Amino acid sequence: MGTIVLDAVTKVYPTAESGAAGIVAVDHVAMTIRDHEIVCLVGPSGCGKSTVLNMIAGFESPTEGRITVSDKEIRGAGPDRMVVFQSPALFGWMTVRQNITFGPRKRGVPKSQYENDATRFINAVGLDDFASHYPYQLSGGMRQRVQIARALMNRPEILLMDEPFGALDFQTRLLMQELLLKVWSEFKPTILFITHDVDEAIFLGDRVYVMSRRPGRLKEQFDVPFAKPRNMEILTDPQFVTLKDRILHSIREELAG
Amino acid sequence: MIDKPQTPRRRQRFAADRWRYPLISFASVVGMICLWALVTGLGLVSSRVLPSPGEVLVQAGYLIRNGYADNPLIVHIGWSLFRATSGFLLGVALAIPVGLLMSYNRTIGAIVQPIFGFFRPIPPIAFIPLMIVWFGIGETSKILLIFAASFNYTVLNSAAGMRSVPEQLIRAGTNLGLTRWQLFTSVMFPAALPAILTGVKMSAAVSWAVLVAAELIAAQAGLGFIITDAGTFFRIPDVFIGILIIGVIGLGIEFLISAFERRLLHWQGKV
Repeated sequence: MGTIVLDAVTKVYPTAESGAAGIVAVDHVAMTIRDHEIVCLVGPSGCGKSTVLNMIAGFESPTEGRITVSDKEIRGAGPDRMVVFQSPALFGWMTVRQNITFGPRKRGVPKSQYENDATRFINAVGLDDFASHYPYQLSGGMRQRVQIARALMNRPEILLMDEPFGALDFQTRLLMQELLLKVWSEFKPTILFITHDVDEAIFLGDRVYVMSRRPGRLKEQFDVPFAKPRNMEILTDPQFVTLKDRILHSIREELAG
Repeated sequence: MIDKPQTPRRRQRFAADRWRYPLISFASVVGMICLWALVTGLGLVSSRVLPSPGEVLVQAGYLIRNGYADNPLIVHIGWSLFRATSGFLLGVALAIPVGLLMSYNRTIGAIVQPIFGFFRPIPPIAFIPLMIVWFGIGETSKILLIFAASFNYTVLNSAAGMRSVPEQLIRAGTNLGLTRWQLFTSVMFPAALPAILTGVKMSAAVSWAVLVAAELIAAQAGLGFIITDAGTFFRIPDVFIGILIIGVIGLGIEFLISAFERRLLHWQGKV
């Protein structure tokens, strides 16, 4: 269903000078994200994490290699792969409810169908009292919850999350991580989650990939040894700390090298 | 809980604070009139050059009762409003689609951008002789002059507004499966609306300002006509009254559009 396969995917951005080879942002990345899995991608900034995500989303296309979702090569963006952006890309002139129902409304889904879904997903992200508020009346964490609900409304098999909690304060981020796990256990989407917070990556992910500095390659892969459902207590578990240490070590090599 | 929704700040202010700045503004207007009365009352300036507030008021009463040049004041105001609004509305109605098209299709943009860019800094008054030669001295040339001024401001703001729609918002739209047309009408246009309305506001102000110039073209009625006609015959109080009416109506228009803008774009600049 929601299996993502990247096969030797390379992305080269042309440079301004003619004749130059261009900047290699992503270099022969091969990975498989299995159905219902949460995979986190960490790495130094500018390493091409977001480029990988944007190519899976269909916003950009690979220069070489191919990306398949459920064995089909992707062609452009679509609601089967919903993106949750770092800065909440909400429609400021719409209420929370209008934002959430926007996709189905525009695709001609009958009102009777999406209205129930809307109520359900607004409830799932805990925004019942704010359905008729506008985005500017919400806090940063609430805006991200609207984005998550808006994505879920389209019943995506895949959620692509590009540092969605990066701009939030520490406590809100913890709440959002727990919320995401709760949402995941209910709807089981396949999730690619980009972050530079190693704690977050381990807490959420079934696997964590570390990317190298530019040109971005997959450097190392770590399995997270905790079953779901998880709670905050694992953050201080010795296994967690050991894994964190290994991942940090892997990233630090990139920063030093 | 740290992650609280945002309370509108304006509501938190005390009532006394709300009236503070409007009161200062009101005092400023009263002060200006007092200064005017003082300068004329002390005879510092000849009343032939600068009539006193009292004189202007008396003359205003006369004009309200008897009209100006065989027409009641309301007819002059009506003509001016008719010319300004029709020129303004025509200009805006054409400028918004053209501006949107300019940014949507870069070739079209490249074709028209230099033309509009060239005309914009030229004061509309410079076109009066040509307007008369091409379109005569009837209403057409007057309205066209206002139309051109109005068009120029909204067209550039609409194009710029479309271009400044955040890439992320467009991506969010495509991600939701919108067609190109839906993306244009339901995401890009509303997102560009604040910039478009800024252009519309400038167009309204310019339309009203160009009015006096337009009514230089052989008008028999209108506020611009009153000013030029009274000036020719050195009836300075009448000139003042013409200016005052134009100013007050201009403020009214600005106020109306701003109120409309606040209602429509209450969300703007806050996300």
